[in-house]
Amino acid sequence: MTVERQPGDLRAALAKTIVGQDGVLEALLLALLCNGHVLLEGPPGLAKTLACRSLAAALEGDFKRIQFTPDLLPSDIVGTRIFDQRESRFATVLGPIFANVVLADEINRAPAKVQSALLEAMQERQVTIGPESHALPDPFVVMATMNPLDSEGTYALPIAQMDRFLMKINVGYPTREEELQILDRFAMADTQPVRCVATLDDVRTWRAAAHAVHVDEKLKRYIVDLVAITRAAQSVAVKSTAGATLKAAELIDYGASPRATLSLAFLARGRALLDGRDFALPDDVRAVAAPALRHRIGFNYRLATENVSADVVIDAMIAAIPAP
Amino acid sequence: MARKPTAPLILVALAYLASAGTGRGQTLQRLTVQTFVLSTDTMQPQVDVPFHVIVTLHVRERVSQITNLQLPMLAQLELLGDERQTLSDPRGTQYREVVTVVVHDAGRFAIAPATLQAIDARDGKPKQWFTNDLPLSVHSSATRIANGVAGGLLRYVARVFAALIWLALLVGAAVLTIILLRRRAPVAPAPAAVLEPVSYQRVPSEAELRRRQIDDALLVLRAERTRSAAVRVRAAVWRSIGAPEGETLGDVLRRPGCGEGPLRDLLIALERSAFTYDEDLAAAIEDAGAALERYAESLT
Repeated sequence: MTVERQPGDLRAALAKTIVGQDGVLEALLLALLCNGHVLLEGPPGLAKTLACRSLAAALEGDFKRIQFTPDLLPSDIVGTRIFDQRESRFATVLGPIFANVVLADEINRAPAKVQSALLEAMQERQVTIGPESHALPDPFVVMATMNPLDSEGTYALPIAQMDRFLMKINVGYPTREEELQILDRFAMADTQPVRCVATLDDVRTWRAAAHAVHVDEKLKRYIVDLVAITRAAQSVAVKSTAGATLKAAELIDYGASPRATLSLAFLARGRALLDGRDFALPDDVRAVAAPALRHRIGFNYRLATENVSADVVIDAMIAAIPAP
Repeated sequence: MARKPTAPLILVALAYLASAGTGRGQTLQRLTVQTFVLSTDTMQPQVDVPFHVIVTLHVRERVSQITNLQLPMLAQLELLGDERQTLSDPRGTQYREVVTVVVHDAGRFAIAPATLQAIDARDGKPKQWFTNDLPLSVHSSATRIANGVAGGLLRYVARVFAALIWLALLVGAAVLTIILLRRRAPVAPAPAAVLEPVSYQRVPSEAELRRRQIDDALLVLRAERTRSAAVRVRAAVWRSIGAPEGETLGDVLRRPGCGEGPLRDLLIALERSAFTYDEDLAAAIEDAGAALERYAESLT
């Protein structure tokens, strides 16, 4: 592996601007290395936009933010064709999705057809406007956010759509110390813009290096076991807040898809590269297991009636599989 | 896949490695050991034919489980299964562990003794008991067939010879009994016989055990520079620091004393040798060996 600038440099540069939120930063970098997209769920004001903007700045890439609203149209995202009277022909106007880092803010506020326009572009990495297909820039990372506090007037994303995200991160509030740091860094003085620490070419090189990271047979079996237990979790016990012991299988309608298996392997490779290794470890798999699985498991109504957190069930399933 | 033959010495070394699971601060059971035996269903197993290695322990106390019993590490054998059974009745507890194994290379080697650490209920002192070791002669199928033809005749002669010896022994025993009965005066009935444990010695200190395990791990890594040896040494080192199977390196490094110094370097080096790609394996094992040496030095 002969890359002059390492992904760790990018993480260090971002950490100078973003206080705490290590999970969000790591997710962004992993999405970049694994050519995937990230779904973030958390209350507003947690530096999600700043993280995306900083990432784009650190790479000298383009950043666009799209605020999803109920009246948004697919053409507002992907672009449209307008009639140019001087030239007497239709001209294509590309939408805000043509950027290296796209923040799709409150994705669940837009109706299903807008959501699917975005998700299709994420999957295909190209959009078709009129008769022409346009390739999206490379690298291309979408960070979509959902606000868990305000669910009125929202359109929930179907699991099949959510499956297209490489990982889902639950963004939490910063700690007291982190919040003090935020005060020092942002309230007292002008924020320092993130300087460019890598190029888009570097990202493409890192992606190739991540793809070459070795995943041992024992780890592959571990990954498959982790995904398999989400489909048959009869042996996994979970405690409800009322103290009742439930079988995880009773709370799950369907488990994770094979796309989750692939995602786990990609993410483990990416995390190994972030850590400066060219081989993955069980720690890499375990660290990315919850973010890779949580949006791919279909929980049923009992999760709510028994007052059990989805993450508690997922953690119990991960803990049930011994690491190699 | 052809496997390299390794020295029987390694098996003995691995026995120590296997005894690493005595986790720090673990309470010893109070037991009266009556029988502690290592046996097998065949002393002449065949290459690639599974057979059983059986550990039998009988103690006078009624206990629901036996802790601190360590099997030898079966380095030249592939482990296929492990079945444990603990039966209690008013006479005590019978523990039986049947390990199904298969061997891939012909030759002679010995399985080292299993060990048990417990407080001897007879005198209240902590002791370590050992079973017998188990010499095995492994035959390839071809050797077996050749031996079978010649062996038929030999077995017949041996049977006749054995019958004659038995007859002589019986006559001798009868004569000896008569002589003893005539010479000895009548005595009071003897107290119930108490079976002595097979063998025991002082429980080694934790530091001694750790040092021995590391030396043996070095021996294993130097003799067999393969991934499977590295994985076994990794498992043994983890057990020696009380880390259960199923934890990740991150979990182990968070244990007190594991996240710093030569032990940390050793754990990381062993993890690399267990999971790195094939081209890097030799270098990874080299590094793990060096880390083991540094760790061994730090223990002295």
